[in-house]
Amino acid sequence: MATDPLTATLSALADPTRRAIVSRLALGEASVTELCEPFALSQPAISKHLKVLEKAGIISRGRSAQFRPCRLEAARLKGVATWIDEFSRLWEERFDRLDAHLQTVKKARQKGKRHGRK
Amino acid sequence: MAASDASTADREIVIERTVNAPRELVWQAWTEADQIAQWWGPNGFTTTIHAMDVRVGGVWRFIMHGPDGTDYPNRIVYREIVKPERLVYDHDDDNDPPSHSFRSTVTFVAQGRKTKVTLRAVFASVEAREASVKFGAIEGGAQTLARLDQHVATMSEAD
Repeated sequence: MATDPLTATLSALADPTRRAIVSRLALGEASVTELCEPFALSQPAISKHLKVLEKAGIISRGRSAQFRPCRLEAARLKGVATWIDEFSRLWEERFDRLDAHLQTVKKARQKGKRHGRK
Repeated sequence: MAASDASTADREIVIERTVNAPRELVWQAWTEADQIAQWWGPNGFTTTIHAMDVRVGGVWRFIMHGPDGTDYPNRIVYREIVKPERLVYDHDDDNDPPSHSFRSTVTFVAQGRKTKVTLRAVFASVEAREASVKFGAIEGGAQTLARLDQHVATMSEAD
């Protein structure tokens, strides 16, 4: 089944080890060996995670045979950030309208108290 | 404080707001159909409520009408109701078969005459996340339209 880039990105980021790898790569490119250091995982295990990230387009790997440094592809992560921003903005504006609505309700109640119900 | 469950902290979006009204009023604004229709939006949208049954397992079914005439069906199923502190519900796009989108928890904390409202949306699983991304894209797209329409709404309010 074809998945859109955002779905692929979110799925790839659903794993804490992969997110840690992404955090590490945010500091600059690194080799598989370097990426293995902070984790209690074997190189094949890390390589498996890297494959998932690469397939999702979150990282890319250098072409030189022995040392294939991994680097972050910022465009994919930007897609996630944009979506989260949109969601957050929707709710910020929803809260604005809630607050405005509550002020109307409060005013109506105060009026009701002063003048009694009609 | 809005302490997060460590197991879901990496899959959630949290948005907080302190609104200038006592908690009872805020609770009513969230749980009474005639009130929530007035502010749910998004900006520039109207909301038609077809059913709203605020009980555990009860359903709130509504359609958001976009400024360009597009309808966005929504369904919310209430999972937990602790009046006037907490609402937990599952929110989807009312498709058949239904695609589970995301679980939201809304908490209301009284702060004197004000109320702190916290929305926490958690993606439940990979499948749910997949569905919610599509749904989220709809909400996000709708929101883009809403922003375009915002000027108009503001101007007519100022009259």
